[in-house]
Amino acid sequence: MNKMYSDKRYIILFLLPALILFCGVLIAPIGASGYYSFFDWNGFTDKTFIGLSNYKELFTSDSIGFMKALGNSLLLAVLSVFLQLPLALLLALVLGKNIKGERTFLSVYFMPVLISTVVIGQLWLKIYNPDYGVLNVALRAVGLDDLTRIWLGDKATALGAVFVPILWQYVGYHMLLLYAGVKSVPPELREAAMLDGASDGQVNRFIVLPYIKPIIKISVIFAVTGSLKSFDLIYVLTNGGPLHATEVPSTLMISMLFLRNRYGMGSTIAVLLILLCFGFALLINLIFKEED
Amino acid sequence: MKKILAIILCVCMVPFMVACGGGGQSGGESSDGEQVTLKLWSIATESDANRPAYLQAIEDYEAAHPNVKIEMEAFENESYKTKIKAAMSGGSSEDLPDIFFTWGGAFLGDFVDAGKVVCLDDIYANNYTEEQIPSVMLNNSSYDGKHYGVPTTFNIVAMYANMDLLKQAGWDKVPETYEELTKCCDDLVAAGIIPFGCAGSETWCVTEYLEPIILKSIGYEDLNKIFAGEATWNDPDIAKSVDTLQEMIDKGYFDPSGIALGNDEVKANFLAGKTAFYQNGSWNTGEVAGADFESSVAMFPVMNAERSTANCAIGGPSDHLAVCSESANADLAAEVAVELGKEICHYNYLNAVGLPAWTPDYDTSALEPLMVQIGDIVNKCEGMVLFGDTAMSADPAQIYLDYVAKVYGKEIDGQGFIDGLTKDLQ
Amino acid sequence: MKKTSKAKEVFIYIGLFIWLIINLFPVYWMFTFSLKSNPEIFGDNVIGLPKEWLWSNYSTALHTGNMGLYFMNSAIVAVSTILITLVVALMATFALSRLIWKRRKTLNKFFMLGLTIPIHASIVPVYVTLSRLNMLNTYWALIIPYSAFSLAMAILVCIGFMNEIPHELDESACIDGCGVFGIFFRIICPLMKPAIATVGIYTFLQCWNELMFANVFISNNALRTLPVGVQALSGQYTTEWGPIGAALVLATFPTLLVYIFLSKKIQESFIAGAIKG
Repeated sequence: MNKMYSDKRYIILFLLPALILFCGVLIAPIGASGYYSFFDWNGFTDKTFIGLSNYKELFTSDSIGFMKALGNSLLLAVLSVFLQLPLALLLALVLGKNIKGERTFLSVYFMPVLISTVVIGQLWLKIYNPDYGVLNVALRAVGLDDLTRIWLGDKATALGAVFVPILWQYVGYHMLLLYAGVKSVPPELREAAMLDGASDGQVNRFIVLPYIKPIIKISVIFAVTGSLKSFDLIYVLTNGGPLHATEVPSTLMISMLFLRNRYGMGSTIAVLLILLCFGFALLINLIFKEED
Repeated sequence: MKKILAIILCVCMVPFMVACGGGGQSGGESSDGEQVTLKLWSIATESDANRPAYLQAIEDYEAAHPNVKIEMEAFENESYKTKIKAAMSGGSSEDLPDIFFTWGGAFLGDFVDAGKVVCLDDIYANNYTEEQIPSVMLNNSSYDGKHYGVPTTFNIVAMYANMDLLKQAGWDKVPETYEELTKCCDDLVAAGIIPFGCAGSETWCVTEYLEPIILKSIGYEDLNKIFAGEATWNDPDIAKSVDTLQEMIDKGYFDPSGIALGNDEVKANFLAGKTAFYQNGSWNTGEVAGADFESSVAMFPVMNAERSTANCAIGGPSDHLAVCSESANADLAAEVAVELGKEICHYNYLNAVGLPAWTPDYDTSALEPLMVQIGDIVNKCEGMVLFGDTAMSADPAQIYLDYVAKVYGKEIDGQGFIDGLTKDLQ
Repeated sequence: MKKTSKAKEVFIYIGLFIWLIINLFPVYWMFTFSLKSNPEIFGDNVIGLPKEWLWSNYSTALHTGNMGLYFMNSAIVAVSTILITLVVALMATFALSRLIWKRRKTLNKFFMLGLTIPIHASIVPVYVTLSRLNMLNTYWALIIPYSAFSLAMAILVCIGFMNEIPHELDESACIDGCGVFGIFFRIICPLMKPAIATVGIYTFLQCWNELMFANVFISNNALRTLPVGVQALSGQYTTEWGPIGAALVLATFPTLLVYIFLSKKIQESFIAGAIKG
């Protein structure tokens, strides 16, 4: 059998579709983006080679505001790791203990993940509407008129208002991943610890958490790269406004490409986005290895 | 490993090789006698005021030319900008329309530079007279003296007023000077009525307020030079105009919710009687006339009589049709586009969604009185300045809009506005 | 086993219920305002059940908004994407986990790069290529990129499952005279059913939601997908919330219905993906 399994023709045949798809749609475009990033190009006339000027301009120009956009998405990543994940973990730990109604809670908590991002965006757009949105209406109803805001129009609140639905939608996603991990902890381990007199908290801390560490790692990687990639909800809610307060690299890239006709600069942002995602995925892997 | 690399390389090359081979033209059909279908892209969606004119003009044309069928696809304004640019940069004839809607000025200019647009000089010269289409109406779609676009309408920024609300505040006429306007706004605010609404989430709406103030402070000649890049933004009267707008915001003349709303919502507020004034393009005339209050229209008053008269306006023919040079039936499409543009213009005028760029050769006696009022204003105009974001090309226009947004968000004052634009746009 | 104190239990349930409401309320609100008229939504009946059930919002969304058509388009794209992803990923996985050759670990890592690449970053080159191939404005313009971007996750999941299938099965099949194709189609594929469910769910989530590619690559109204359709309808009816609500519900409820009936299965498959990955 080993001889049959080492036949080069089969290897190539089985790999070819995947390689074509993967290289043609992912790898080659990255190469092309890298190439375009060295040009001044409006998308339809001739390109002019300008070396690293796009990169330089991106990092130094205040009017583009790339650093701020990057800061915003890093802030989202931090919130995602330190707010969204702990909440998801807490829910997973609680639900993992065979409590009553476990399935119902689990099903409802996972539901937002299945709703289309555009739908969630449109829905929250209505929730935040300054005049008729349910948030301001509720605040007025309980007499907290002072707290009403033009949530998505005010620079001070827009970023927070955009982050809330993004974080909210994917709590269920991470919860389900972690719940699976919690459930896979062998009951004997748990019981042994209980017999030794460990409290719930201690069991979670010394038995469950170390056991599900690989899943936590995956969750962290998804949370961070997901934050760097975030686009749809922001595009629907504010498209980077007001006054670039909610700009992230993806929205900046799209406005460079299609509003400002700067294909070279848009490609530069694309390249940096990919590098950042890789960089962080590697970094997180390293951090978790270090811990072991 | 080398083999894998080789495979990967080969595979990566496939799209590019196909790309190089695939540029061939699809067979062109002849235009005589045979049935020809032309694709038209526009922004005349269901909610767009121009839609009836488009549909009527297409219907008329198809009735008169049974061998031509015009298929219109309409896109939402903002996503259309993305779509048409992406299609132009992609560059295969299959994905491009034959005739497309475009803004004049730099938007069309970029496509003309790239050789993507058919020159319409012959058709204008052979089929139409100067009487029918005054050459000044073609200025925004002419590059190096050649005409590439067909104006479908012509609009200026107008200040619509809800006279019922004004009367509640003790005003029975639209204010004519800036002093009167401030007084009127103060009276409105005192009566609990919000004077203006302005959509902050669409920056072009803010320019509809800011540009008229600048215009009436420095005059049309100077503003035209600045938009064309022939003069700098460094003009203290512009800084003063910006400060004036911000002062109006500070005094509560603007609906504070506006900053998060879109234009449709702000317009709906005005039409529902929530704000007293609405300053926007004259394409809204039909809708305003249809609202159930007495309406009137005026221009923003003169700010600095030394530099500007009352008789100038922001506006011009900015909406155009143009023909894609990669169209398989480019000659026919060019003929159709010009005739279609002329008729769209005709129906737009009668529907009170725009002024006529083409001289009317039809009965206009049933015209909306509010439209007639705007027509009178335009007839008195000595000069016009095209909307700033249309006059400038994409990149500077976006930078300009950014600064305008900052003004509305009060992130910068007048000095910051002119300093920033002087620095970033030179 | 120790008993958790009563107070603590109550506290936990209160927390769980609050989070339950936070997750249910937006959906409930969406459903109710989809059946209301503007005066009700904007007036004093903001969160109650509709006083007058306005089903006409739904006919507006279906007829003017073409939601039915867009739903079909999304379904066609999603199903095709899932099929292609599955076939391609299963084949690649077979080569990566069963066939014997040097550097297969390296190639596996190479595919895993795809997990972190943001889909939007490749928009321009993909657009140019699709356009040159005359594939814009076809379902393929979405199916191919979506499949490519789902591939990494699919391979990751499939490898987890395939590694669990004992090699003895292959060997006995080989002795029975099966060739490579025989083993792949008759032995491995049937055993990969749980993986197929898992990959299907992950892929569905990815392509059902995607907005940017769908917006740029498809200009033909008749081929629009749901996210683009919802976005377009909201642009048209900015000031009339009822039809928007109806469109949102129409875009959401079919998926939710399937979820309600199959929630256990879906969750299990989803979880399996996480563990195997």
